[in-house]
Order: sequence, then C-alpha cells, then structure tokens
Amino acid sequence: MELGKCAEARSVDCGEKAEEIGADHFQLGEEIRTLVSAPPDSGSSFTALLELPANQAVKLLHSPELEETPRAAELPPVFPACKLSVFLGAGNSPDTGSIPVKQEPTDSDSPPGNSSPLAADPMAVDGDRKLTKRKEREKKVKGPAKKSRTAAECEADGEKLPYVHVRARRGQATDSHSLAERARREKINARMKLLQELVPGCNKISGTAMVLDEIINHVQSLQRQVEFLSMRLAAVNPRIDINLDSLLAAENGSLLDSNFSGIIMPSMWPEGQFNVNRQQYPQVWHQPVWGREEGNPNFITPENSLLSYNSSANSGKSYFLILAN
Amino acid sequence: MHSPSQLKRDFLKQWLKGLQMCSYPKKEMSILERKKAIKLSADVAMASARNATSCWGLALIANASKEGNDKCLVEHLLGQESERGKMASTFQLAILHKKLRSKKIIKKSCSVRRVKKLTPRMVLASSVAKRLVKNRTKVLKSLVPGGESMDEFSLIKETLDYIVSLRVQVDVMRCLANASDLLNCKGVHG
Repeated sequence: MELGKCAEARSVDCGEKAEEIGADHFQLGEEIRTLVSAPPDSGSSFTALLELPANQAVKLLHSPELEETPRAAELPPVFPACKLSVFLGAGNSPDTGSIPVKQEPTDSDSPPGNSSPLAADPMAVDGDRKLTKRKEREKKVKGPAKKSRTAAECEADGEKLPYVHVRARRGQATDSHSLAERARREKINARMKLLQELVPGCNKISGTAMVLDEIINHVQSLQRQVEFLSMRLAAVNPRIDINLDSLLAAENGSLLDSNFSGIIMPSMWPEGQFNVNRQQYPQVWHQPVWGREEGNPNFITPENSLLSYNSSANSGKSYFLILAN
Repeated sequence: MHSPSQLKRDFLKQWLKGLQMCSYPKKEMSILERKKAIKLSADVAMASARNATSCWGLALIANASKEGNDKCLVEHLLGQESERGKMASTFQLAILHKKLRSKKIIKKSCSVRRVKKLTPRMVLASSVAKRLVKNRTKVLKSLVPGGESMDEFSLIKETLDYIVSLRVQVDVMRCLANASDLLNCKGVHG
C-alpha cells in the first residue's frame, strides 16, 4: 500500500531515532505517514494553482517530525518541542540538532518573536495559501477534529475539492483579523498537540476541553507526588542516622555494584573523600557546607563513621560515575 | 538544550546543596518543617536548573522569596550574583502582572456589554465549548506558577516546560526515597 511504503521510507530515516523514542513514536509515525502521503497528492496541484515558489513548497512538504509546530511557532517554543522528543526518548541529541536547523528558513518568513496580529500580515498574502495547505493537511493528520473550529471550516470543503477549499479561504483571507486569528489558533493547536503527546493517554481524546482536563489532572498528580515524596523523605530521616553506620560498613561496595546503578546514592558520599573527588569534577561544593552535615535532614552521616571506611573512596567515585551515566 | 539526564544531574546538585543549607540554621526540625524545607529546596533547585528558559521558574522563585522566613533561604540557595538577576526578574514579573491585570479589567468591561446584547436563545455548541475551555485554562493558570500573567499561548508552552521539570523532580525524589528506604531496610536487617 502506498501509505505503508511512504511510512517505511520515512521510518528508515528516523529508524535510529525510533528505537529510542519508543512508543510515542508510533503516534508521531502515524502523523508523519499521513503528512507524507497527503502532500504528494495535494501538493502538486496546490503549487500549480497557487504558483507557490517550489522551494517554499518543499519546505512545507518536508516539515520536521514534529509537523506543523515549527512553522507557526517562534524559535524559543521549538525548544520544548525538541526537548520533548528528546525527553521521551531519553536523550537523543540528533533530534534537537536537526529541528532548529530546519526551523530557520521557515522562521525567516514570519518575523520571529512577534505574536501580534501584525505578524500575520506579512505572511498574509503568500501565507494564507500556506495556511490553507496546512489546514488541509492538518485535517488529514488529525482526522476527527481536535479543535472544533478549524475542523468545521475544513470539513465542508474538505478532501474532495481542494480548489473549492482554497476558494473559500480566499474569501475569508482578505480579512486581516481572521487571518491573524487563524494563525494564532494554529499556533495554539500545534502546542496542544505537543501537550497531548507529552501527557499519557491524551492522544485518543479529541476536543480541547477534555485534553485540558487531562493536562490539569496530570499536573495536579505530579504536584501531589512531589508533596508526597518530600514528606516521605522528611519522614525517613530519624532512622537513617542510626542505621547508616552499620549499613555502610556492610554494604558499601555491594550496593553500588549491584542493581542500583540507576539509583543515585548520596548516602555514599564520604565527607573526607570529597577533596579527592573535587579534583576529578569541577564542581563548586563549598567546604564549609560539608562541615555542617550533622544537622542535615537527609543522608550525610556523621563524619567519624565515614572516615573509618577505606572502601569509601570507591563509593565516592562510583557516585560520580553514576551521575555521569 | 538539556538532555533529561543532564537536567536530573543539575537538579540533584542544586537540591542537595539547598538541603545542606536548609539544615544548617536549625538542628532540630519538626517533620513538617523538614518536609517544607525539602520541598522548597527541590522547587527552587528545579526552577534555577531551568532558569534561562522558564517563566514559571522565575515566578516560583518570586513567590518563594515573598514570605519572610523562606526569603533568606531562597537567597542563600541562589547565591549572590543570581540573586540580583532574580530581583530584576521579579520586578519585571510584577510589572507585567499589573499590566495584564489592567488589560483584563478593560477587556472584561467591554465583554460584559457584548454579552448583554447577544442574549442567545439557542446555546451554540461552540460557545459551550469555549466556556469549558475558558474554565479549564483558568484552572491551569492557577496550577502553573506564574500562570496568571500569561496569555493562552505562552501558558501552554510554560505548561509543557513545567510538566517536564516536574517529572524530572519526581523521578529524582523517588530515586532518593527508594534508595533511603532500601538502606534503611538493609540497616535494620544487617
């Protein structure tokens, strides 16, 4: 099937990234697939009709993986987008490298950092055609509309007659206010898409209000988790001081070697070893701060117990190794 | 842009520094105080780790430094040089907030007139949807620090940022808590 082939072709480029990005890439992949499939159909007719310069059409067609977001948004907002895919994929630097590069040509079209209605006007003349193209593609990408307004406009003219679609747009396009509105709405839509991808379980929900609901729930749950964890950490303290001496004696090497490589073990910081480690790591740890460890609510044990451990050198270094991973 | 592990590292560094400073003034703290101190240092650490890019971070720090007893703590945490930067940004934030408030008052007074004219018999689906969205954005604004003084677009961007950093914060804290629990268990048995 043509769609499948396109998807394959596309997924080859981002194959390496796909493994890292994982499940979230499936949604991206779907959108990429529809993106790739849609432009060849409508793109040629559009460029013929609208007499778009070819390079602009190409730019639009080969939009980065995060689709319409870059085109409408200013440069700074790209970073959350890049960072998102990076974050989801646990550190994929090529992604972030490619997206800002592609950003620049499209951003030069619209004056960067200017979200006022006036910004829409320079885009207006050639921009409204881009908008119509984008709208059509967006509609195909999103399928059942996420934003009722944009979908309602597209749906009537829709897939069957792109020419009619353009016509309707032209009639509207002369009004600068509606253009600006549309540009603004597009920006917001793009952002909402990103949010949807970030918040788990939001992809299937259509409708801004529901998505916002999910987002609010997610943020609230995260905040509650922070509260809960800080309470837990606060509660942990009294026992730690008592047990930590014996614990360190017994478990010093083994804990770090074993499955806790992903877990950060600040309790393994021996105070005495810090002078050694400071040379290895150019960090600013104030010496007096370390002297106050007795009152610390958390993990730093009294220094007399620590200095007696000769294996504590390893633990300090391995802590930094863990951090470095 | 930070990779997530880099962010975690920064956050952890800042946070532990902060915890050290928290504990210094008082030797004996009640559990609630301790919890507050932990949370505060975590929040401030998070905010400063994302300092350059986030508006919510500045707002968070501004809020934290408003109250008297926390203020010194926050200042200590941030250090001398950055403190000036924070002060400047807090002033800017306050000014921006006032501007937006006045704008909103004007808007509201205008819109009230409009509503009276319309008085729709048929409630359109779109208007219902708009109202729902408005309510939700209001709630979201109250959740995200510094959200009130933001338009819809930047609110979404800040939410994105905020969610990412909250996740990092939760991950790191959970790791610490797990580690300490494990240590405790081993200590009890061993």
